[in-house]
Amino acid sequence: MGLSSIGTATEGMQLCIFDLRRGQHEGQELDKILYFFPPDLPFSTQLSVIGLSEGLITFTRIFSPEAACEVIEAERHSHVFYEAEPDIWMVMIVEKSKEPEAIWRIDALREVLKEIHSLFIMFHGSIRALLDKEPGGGLTRAHLYPFIMDYLRACQKLSPLDECCWDFLVGKKLLLPSFCDCLKERRTVQMLTVGREAAIEVQTLVRLLESSAGNAQCSSLILFQDLLVSTTLSPEDTVNLFTYAVLRLTPLALSSGARSWSYLRKGNTSSHVTAGSTLAPSGSVSEQFYGSQDTSPAGDNRYCVVRPLQHGKWSKGKDGFLITDIWGVDVGRSDVTTPIVWLQHTEERMYLCAYQYKSLTLILLIPLSSILNGEQGVSTVKQQLLENASLKILKVEEKLSKGWGGENAYHVSGYRYLIVDGNRDISRASPPAKVTTLTKESLLALNRLREEVDAEKSRSKWDNPGRDKDLEVSIRAKNNAWAIARIIGGKELYMVLEKANETLLYASDAVEKFSNRYCSGAFSLD
Amino acid sequence: MGLGKRERTSVGAVDMKEKKTISPLRRILVNCTAQVNEYGACVAAKVPEVERDMCLKEFLALKTCMQNTINVFNFLLIYSSGERCNIWSFGFAVCMIRLKIQDNLRKMAWKASSSQASVGGLGSGALSHVFIQYPPLRCNIPGSRGFYYDDGNKLLISPTSDQIFSWKTAPFSPLAAPITDSITEGPICSVRFSLDEKIIAVQRSNISIQFWHRETEETFTHRCKSESESILGFFWTDCPSCDIVIVKTSGLDLFAYDSTPKSLILVETKKLAVSWYVYTHESRLILLASGMQCKTFHGFQLSSAGIIRLPKFEMVMAKPEANSKPVLASEDVYIVTVYGRIYCLQVDRVAMVLHSYRFYRDAIIQQGSLPIYSSKVAVSVVDNVLLVHQVDAKVVILYDIFADSRAPISAPLPVLLRGFQRSDISNSRPSTKESESSEASDSNDNEAIIYGADWTFLVPDLICDVANKLLWKIHLDLEAISASSSEVPLVLEFLQRRKLEANKAKQLCLAITQTMILEHRPITVVAKAMDVLVTSYSLSLKTGSYFKGIKTERIPSSVPNVSGPGQATGVFTSRTDGKSVQHEPATRVNSVSFSRPSTYSSSETEDNCSFEPSKISSNDTQFVGGKVDASAESSTTDNPLNASVSEQQKSQLTSPAISPDEMYRSVFAPIEEEMTVEPSYLVAIILEFFRCANLERVKVHPSLYVLTIQLLARSEQYAELSLFIINKVIEPSKEVALQLLESGRQSLQIRKLGLDMLRQLSLNHDYVLLLVQDGYYLEALRYARKHKVTTIRPSLFLEAAFTSNDSQHLAAVLRFFSDFIPGFRSTSDFFTYYNVLNEMSSSVTA
Repeated sequence: MGLSSIGTATEGMQLCIFDLRRGQHEGQELDKILYFFPPDLPFSTQLSVIGLSEGLITFTRIFSPEAACEVIEAERHSHVFYEAEPDIWMVMIVEKSKEPEAIWRIDALREVLKEIHSLFIMFHGSIRALLDKEPGGGLTRAHLYPFIMDYLRACQKLSPLDECCWDFLVGKKLLLPSFCDCLKERRTVQMLTVGREAAIEVQTLVRLLESSAGNAQCSSLILFQDLLVSTTLSPEDTVNLFTYAVLRLTPLALSSGARSWSYLRKGNTSSHVTAGSTLAPSGSVSEQFYGSQDTSPAGDNRYCVVRPLQHGKWSKGKDGFLITDIWGVDVGRSDVTTPIVWLQHTEERMYLCAYQYKSLTLILLIPLSSILNGEQGVSTVKQQLLENASLKILKVEEKLSKGWGGENAYHVSGYRYLIVDGNRDISRASPPAKVTTLTKESLLALNRLREEVDAEKSRSKWDNPGRDKDLEVSIRAKNNAWAIARIIGGKELYMVLEKANETLLYASDAVEKFSNRYCSGAFSLD
Repeated sequence: MGLGKRERTSVGAVDMKEKKTISPLRRILVNCTAQVNEYGACVAAKVPEVERDMCLKEFLALKTCMQNTINVFNFLLIYSSGERCNIWSFGFAVCMIRLKIQDNLRKMAWKASSSQASVGGLGSGALSHVFIQYPPLRCNIPGSRGFYYDDGNKLLISPTSDQIFSWKTAPFSPLAAPITDSITEGPICSVRFSLDEKIIAVQRSNISIQFWHRETEETFTHRCKSESESILGFFWTDCPSCDIVIVKTSGLDLFAYDSTPKSLILVETKKLAVSWYVYTHESRLILLASGMQCKTFHGFQLSSAGIIRLPKFEMVMAKPEANSKPVLASEDVYIVTVYGRIYCLQVDRVAMVLHSYRFYRDAIIQQGSLPIYSSKVAVSVVDNVLLVHQVDAKVVILYDIFADSRAPISAPLPVLLRGFQRSDISNSRPSTKESESSEASDSNDNEAIIYGADWTFLVPDLICDVANKLLWKIHLDLEAISASSSEVPLVLEFLQRRKLEANKAKQLCLAITQTMILEHRPITVVAKAMDVLVTSYSLSLKTGSYFKGIKTERIPSSVPNVSGPGQATGVFTSRTDGKSVQHEPATRVNSVSFSRPSTYSSSETEDNCSFEPSKISSNDTQFVGGKVDASAESSTTDNPLNASVSEQQKSQLTSPAISPDEMYRSVFAPIEEEMTVEPSYLVAIILEFFRCANLERVKVHPSLYVLTIQLLARSEQYAELSLFIINKVIEPSKEVALQLLESGRQSLQIRKLGLDMLRQLSLNHDYVLLLVQDGYYLEALRYARKHKVTTIRPSLFLEAAFTSNDSQHLAAVLRFFSDFIPGFRSTSDFFTYYNVLNEMSSSVTA
């Protein structure tokens, strides 16, 4: 349930990134390919896929120069387009199959592309900048290839039989968001609800953290379990770091370090990963083309490429700080190099220090520019942080644990819901375990409803930019279920009510009640 | 401890004193040059960041050297190496040496303090923590036969052969004129006025007391019945069952005063053998000493609530050698009232400590001891601060025995005479204010002698200079005290407990807090300070003293009112001294007359003439027991024996507690205006304030929330701002919502938070208006209809619909008003927009 299995990579999914500004002359077509999955596809096939996409983009630009193609629905495939940077496109092609699991929501797929891209930027900077740095494109490919492979590996599920099999064409499954995930919103942050007292404690802790580095303008992120407690970053950066933290840094991510994660990690974590890479091309032409040796941990011999999404590379050090050797080991010292991330909002490079105490994960970002003596400076800051904030951290952890209602804290009985606050990129949903109790029909109905709402949203975005459009749709589905969507003032509420009374009034009352009790009336109409 | 003990001739003592203090300095400088330089350099390198235990190594070396050299500095050394080392004294010692000041102790000290003063600009200049203000109250009456102090009425009394002069000392004014009453001639052992001041009682001998009615001039004499007993003293009481208590060697006699037959009616007798007794009116407590060593005590509290008999208890005395048994003298026992609690302080001359006992209704518990450095000590209480005068050493040590710590709150320093200019010596007292030296003459110079031999300390905070017939009032120099310590939270705690000069304490607290923030002190320190202030405020709210304070606050009292407690009621206090023998009861100051069996050097006897009842001499040491809340003082707690009831409190004005409003107005707003503090730091401080306020459930001023929003918005920390709002760190209010809308011009997200807040606060009018202004007129209409908002002009909606250029919407709005507002169809709005609508639709069709 919830997993879309794709028989083979060739048939299942293709993902490509290409640059329209490159390879415009005959004979140089290969130049435009920056990334292609599956990588061992013959270049001719790759080029034909990209050629089709390019053609569609060029064609649709005639009518809509600002926003060209978004999606192409062919008979057997869906092409999802995303213009990540000007003239740099990401295209995902998924096969439509008879299997009911292979029912996607296009916007959800596009969110995957966006996520890949924004995470990439966070660690490596923009693709265009990499291309400018080395016009040959080798550097870019060398970065993209392992990065996306690491990302996809997370989505990959191996059949139990082929543990030692290096032929990745057999029995591999990719977990892509399907209709079952319609009560989830990718690229949003899930927040912990805290009382005023705890909130003040948390905020004072934030101040202590950020004062650790003297006068430098630090930023911080605090998570409790997999939920965000506080951030001082802009919404986009928060989402990116939050995503990364949940993937690799939170206690849960650390404990499941050896295991792979999935979009449904909490519900479904049984999978196997072989030590090596199964997605790696073995000895094909593309190996040279992508300049990548997947077997070498730090990437390739020509380029020094860090692979921040690698599995199981983070661990908790003795002092409570999380350490990883992804960014390499300092020569001459046993210390590992501190990770560096790139913030979109301030366009600044920051050291990333993560500290963990029980369920609490603190991420402190220190501007590179403010620390002159590199690693030594970072460890001074860490020291300072421990001195300043240790007690406070204990206190905050205790407070939050006390107030924490457990995994099902945000369950509202009778309701299966998703709230998205588009203004702040925050979402909250029924716990996954509860969502699985819904029937397939209800989920399909909601998935359908969401597609409609997505379409409506993008339409009104073009009609009335900068204006919120309010919207309410209720659908009666099978099994006496209601699928409901409400958008008010940029906030979205999706809801499934099963075994519900048949009148619309009932549905509307239910929403009203929910809105008043849990959303301080944000979704109350009239 | 020999310093100064012998130099008791007072005239010309100034010079002597200086010589005495300087020569040891010289010796140290010669002998310990290396250590001095090392330690000095170490400290100098770190000033102004003075910390405890800094340069410890160097200090210890220096200390050893100094100890070997001389013991004058014992004070300083003992203090600086004490368990909670007071940095101040530390620095003081160092600077004294380093600056190699030759001539003037005060000048040196002042420099030391200013270099040390962590709170900029607060130092008052002269180096002392306690001062007496020139001019004193002059009580020079020709033919005076000594001074008596009536602590019940706070009267200083000086009889002549046929007259009694009495000066009100509360409120203290140097210009107070005496009131004169005539009496018949005869010997006078003590004088006390009744609490309503209508009757004067004069003890004529050890068997008789004479009573005068001041208006009717009627008089009668009360005599002891039996020959075997003699009167030790007497005092008036506000106890409901009796008016006057006569203490005799055979016990207490409680009498009611009956004016009609002009006699005393015996109410009750308490039979006890009494050697001597101690009584203070502010505590309403009488302690009766008995036994061979006079260290067995019976106690009674005779308050308006009735008579409480305390259990018998013994005081502790060290034995000098195996066989000798020292006898406790009355001048070695002091009753002290601090924070409404009653303590007894007892000098143990053998052990050189001051034992303290705290009184509860059913128990007397020893609280620990304080060291003393002088064979003669005296005790005063100013504004609940215990002052232990080390008379021989001419310094005073301050203790705030509210706190658990028995560490002194300040270094031992002399009492400063303020406002007096010496005619001959041009020495610099940095902050001499005013004071013409015109009348300065030789005699005046005598007046200026601090800790003269004839100083008598009166309860609780007066000094009578018997020789010069002057009365001084002791003041605390809050500025100097607060400047002397770099531990701001402790200083604030101390200041928050001050009631006497509440306004000044409050201003100091505000200034200190402000300075602390401007100086960018570490957040943790500021947080502690905030804790202190908010806790104190919430306490004062609970006890109601804050509001009481507000009322009285307006009245500017230039003269600090005299002693806080007990001024409301008057009763005589007397303490007898001398044991067994006759003794004059009340306090007698100078007079030679009675032989007081003093165990100690003869010289002493003269000065402790029993003047005022409360001479407290002691330094308390641990006082562990006193943990009761400050506010709970006196009246509220029941178990501890309370000093005389709540009336103490009433008369006293303000509390230095700082409300969130004042915090905002006097600390945060000015700092924000100056713009010198970076917003993120200020926000951190404000957060700490919120945290404390939240803990104490104190409401925060909405302006502070608004300020926080402004600060966050200015530095574009929108993510935090929205967290603040969502988690209600910033509590919703209309002001806050409007500020969010204002700051939301740069950030849509913030603006929406503001709108949401308006809606949640049900500020429907504003909400609808804003919706319309933002162009969401349909939503606004829907909302207005649901919440019955009728205060907004229809034309606003119509105008908004018109500008959106959607004829359908305009028609809908028109229809809405036509349906829901009776008579709308006849208004001009209707016609205007009806026509507009027609034009629009015709243009569409065309």
